[in-house]
Amino acid sequence: MKKVLGAALAVGMTLAASAVSAQSVKVGALYPFSGGLALLGDESFRGLEVAIDERNAAGGLKGQKIEIVKGDAVDPNQAVGEARRLTSVEKVPVVFGSYASSISLAATQVAELAGVPYFEMGAISDPITERGFKNVYRTNPTAKDFANKMVDAIIDAIAPALKTEAKSLKVAIIHEDSLYGQTVTGFQVARMKEKGLNLVETLPYSAKSVDLTPVILRLKSSGIDVVLQTSYQNDTVLFFRQMKEQGLKLKAVMGAGGGYSLTDTMKAIGAENFEGALNVDFTQYKTNPAGAPGIEDFVKKYQAKYGMPPRSGHSLANYMGARVIFDALAGAKDLSSAGVREAMLKIDIAPGKTPTGWGVKLNDKGQNERGSPYIMQWQKGELVTVFPKEAAVSAMKVGVGN
Amino acid sequence: MDVPVQLILNGIMLGSMYAIIAVGLTLIFGIVRVVNFAHGEFLMLGMYAVYLLSRYAGLHPYVSAVPVVILLFCVGALVQRFIIQKLLGADEHIQIFATVGLSTALVNLALLVFGADLYSVQAPAVRQSLPIGSFTVLVGHLVILGAAIALVAGLHVFMHTTPLGRAIRATAQNRTAALLMGVPVERIYVISFGLGAACVGLASALIMPLYPVTPTIGSYFVLTAFVVVVLGGMRSMYGAFFGAMIIGIVDSLSGYYIAPDLKEVVYFAIFILILIFKPTGLFGFGRGTE
Repeated sequence: MKKVLGAALAVGMTLAASAVSAQSVKVGALYPFSGGLALLGDESFRGLEVAIDERNAAGGLKGQKIEIVKGDAVDPNQAVGEARRLTSVEKVPVVFGSYASSISLAATQVAELAGVPYFEMGAISDPITERGFKNVYRTNPTAKDFANKMVDAIIDAIAPALKTEAKSLKVAIIHEDSLYGQTVTGFQVARMKEKGLNLVETLPYSAKSVDLTPVILRLKSSGIDVVLQTSYQNDTVLFFRQMKEQGLKLKAVMGAGGGYSLTDTMKAIGAENFEGALNVDFTQYKTNPAGAPGIEDFVKKYQAKYGMPPRSGHSLANYMGARVIFDALAGAKDLSSAGVREAMLKIDIAPGKTPTGWGVKLNDKGQNERGSPYIMQWQKGELVTVFPKEAAVSAMKVGVGN
Repeated sequence: MDVPVQLILNGIMLGSMYAIIAVGLTLIFGIVRVVNFAHGEFLMLGMYAVYLLSRYAGLHPYVSAVPVVILLFCVGALVQRFIIQKLLGADEHIQIFATVGLSTALVNLALLVFGADLYSVQAPAVRQSLPIGSFTVLVGHLVILGAAIALVAGLHVFMHTTPLGRAIRATAQNRTAALLMGVPVERIYVISFGLGAACVGLASALIMPLYPVTPTIGSYFVLTAFVVVVLGGMRSMYGAFFGAMIIGIVDSLSGYYIAPDLKEVVYFAIFILILIFKPTGLFGFGRGTE
């Protein structure tokens, strides 16, 4: 009798255990939730959270409720520690992340060694998907895509708007001289050569510089028409203020995200002086929904959940990535490294069919080759999408400042 | 020949900003004999104070110079009284660590209170360009140049004609002798540190209309101010003034003719050459006065 009871109990417990696992599946979410990167790290995470809520409301992943296990990665060291905790202690089958490139570079190494699929939906540094890893997938475009888009915009958008030949425009690249500026500039110079454009000056400067007038006078005496700038916030403000003070008139100036994407930059410079500044970045909210189906729906869900409008495009990029990835995981035979890889490489979405407007097709390195940043412009104190045409909500203007 | 002249003009304007900050640093170093690594953070504090006064009391940045100078004098005096004074007998390294620690603490305090966003004040008249022939100068920069000259002249008069000024000079020349002559050296130190910090208060009111403030803004200006102080002979405020002009012009010219990212290389090379060949600085009094 005792034996039977014991056996029954054992069966019962096994059933109970399997019932729990049938109810939920844990996924890791590795972002900087505290420290200097926390604001946009949290904003990125909210995109993932909205996508998971949406998925759970629709029945979860293969009938299982998705549960989030957060990992707080303040810096690369902590990213390694948290990635280890998620993969070995929490034993999550997959990890999502990570907003910052330095964090992603560190955390993906841990995931790769553990054989746990790692989904990057926001960091842009190219090497993340160039190290031959088999478990790293990235849905967002990279720094190289940003640089190429900026150069191509001279040909596709700026020259037509000025009614002139792209090759006749004198172009200068100015950039802050840390890794960010150097990386983007390296790709830009290569693309300029490839496209045969007239690159007159490449001027690096320190982001801590308190005087950019030498740079501005160089641009002035070389008769530059178009400036591509890769910058943070302070140097963007300084450049625009001193450009006005020194009387430099450009036909177009374009930033590579960074300082150009922030409303505070616009406020410090003044809407009238920042008018017409172009910017390349992830999809923002002033985008035509016809080219980004689902963008309005996301803003509504975000507003309902957090009681405020989205603070930046980071949440949208993460939302889009997470949606595409969960769709793929739903079709995977299991969440093992091989099962996920097979499902991820099978994704084939044409551009203009996701909330960011990006298409999705991963190459064998796990990098999405159909992600493309958009060209935006500051008009009357708002950052509006102006290129490509399908996503544009406003026509591009020429000139800088009023 | 327009460009070189404009570059030199820009250099002088840049130099006058460094001058005010460097004069303050020189006062503290020359009299109290403490290298104040928190000098930049005093500037940051001053700029936030100017921002708050402009935002909530509607004061023009130039008007807020008065309360901010007083505020910074008090901050400087308190730092001297409660931190540096306790360490005067200690090793110089300890004093340096104290000011470095203070600097880190202030930056993080600002991060905590204001966050990493930048704040700026609206003062469009200050940012107006004035045409001088075919060149342009900013109104705000001309004011800074005027203020720098007035500051050095005012301090000169103060140091040479008032009893307090004489006591300060006596303390700077020889701490022990001054003490024997009945100069209250500790109080002189508190006042001198306060004066040095007050210079930064003046600088912050003048700079705020031109540059937005962030918690790390201090480090943008002060590293250069240290070079200026060494160039000027460490203890001479006239030296600091002319040193600032030289660094401003070198900065401007090398940024244009060499490369914008190499201008620091140029003036740090000058810094090293001076330390090697004329360690007393261009306007130095000579070493070993103590």
